[in-house]
Amino acid sequence: MPGSATRNARRTERYLDGLVAADERRAAEIPVDTDMDPAIRVAARQLRAGLVRVHPSFRFEEALAARLAAAADRMKAGLPAELPPAAVAGGTLAAFRGTGAAADLGVVVGAAAGESAATPSIGLSHSAATVVRGLTDVAARPRRPLIVGGVGVASAAISLGAVYVAWRHSHPTSGRMSRAVRAAHGRASHSGRRGSGVINEILGVVS
Amino acid sequence: MSRPVLATSEEGARPARLDRDRGLVEAARRDPSRFDALYRKYLAQVYSYSYYELRDHHAAEDATERVFMQALAGLPRFEERVDAFIASRPVTAASGSASDMADISTFRVWLFRIARNVVANERRTDRRRPVSPLEDAIGLHAPDDVAETVAAREAGSAAWQAVARLPEDRRRAVILRFVDEMSTAEIAAVLGRSEGAVRVLLHRALRSVAEDLRRQLS
Repeated sequence: MPGSATRNARRTERYLDGLVAADERRAAEIPVDTDMDPAIRVAARQLRAGLVRVHPSFRFEEALAARLAAAADRMKAGLPAELPPAAVAGGTLAAFRGTGAAADLGVVVGAAAGESAATPSIGLSHSAATVVRGLTDVAARPRRPLIVGGVGVASAAISLGAVYVAWRHSHPTSGRMSRAVRAAHGRASHSGRRGSGVINEILGVVS
Repeated sequence: MSRPVLATSEEGARPARLDRDRGLVEAARRDPSRFDALYRKYLAQVYSYSYYELRDHHAAEDATERVFMQALAGLPRFEERVDAFIASRPVTAASGSASDMADISTFRVWLFRIARNVVANERRTDRRRPVSPLEDAIGLHAPDDVAETVAAREAGSAAWQAVARLPEDRRRAVILRFVDEMSTAEIAAVLGRSEGAVRVLLHRALRSVAEDLRRQLS
């Protein structure tokens, strides 16, 4: 014989079922058990009216649908559904042909470095290795994948630029125009020698 | 609509029901790109559950994405769980839950188990949850009718405040029942409890909400 708590719980459940069924058939009347607490009926109606289902934005729905479709394509290709961290971070995976003993070891630089521990045989994650295998290489030699990130490229370009400017400063050309420029610069430097010295110090040029 | 079939067990053959999403699930397992149909069908439900639990649109979107990604990746392992769920829930006249079983989607139960775990993880890690009255959700009632919108907004706000004050297990059961319109059997499966326990949980939750609303009125 069920206790009063169980009986009341069953009454509440029947009322909630009736509430949903009435909404589905757009009926105003709901069968009511007279033994049921009226306060619970009011609370149930208020929750039914107040707790509505929320739909996300259309943009989010379509964006997630596209991501799921891409994941489904990866699964069909035998790859994991989730993108590898390197691809998420925006790095580019390129294959370099190795020349020495070091080329026999897979080296992952940058965003995918954390993955390398997972596959100690070649130091590459499964997904990265699959991408590398997909690249054409006529020599078919062991490859060294490298993740080239935007920050690294920018800093290397700036360094090369600074070195080139310093070299040009210390190796003047011997053309007619450059001789004229040097002559003019020499005249000006009598008055502004300190400024030119500062520039040379910055560029690290030793005359 | 679910189809009655015979499932064998130690006690012999007994009627069980197949998942109402079985066709969609099987199609998605054969071709993962067909998962889109399941995604469209359950997006609002999963998102709503996440939204009411986390109370933040961005957190709900993150959780929803994680749920569907995990579901897609885990779909090949889904069948075992379906069998286990059906085997644990025989349909008998004496059980009194035959109507529940007719509406059960084991895929939905499985999906919401993932959602429950994802949301629980999110709640554990995310400390920034702002408490909002979910006004934009309540505003969906009748955008053209100002009076009705205001009334619905007030009712929804009062209801949500009462629900937000409930203990976690009662609040979760209320959201699954009222927002996602799950049956007692489905809620029991999602929460990993017996149907009787869920019935009592919901009854006590409604009693608490009724007392809270009475206090708000007075």
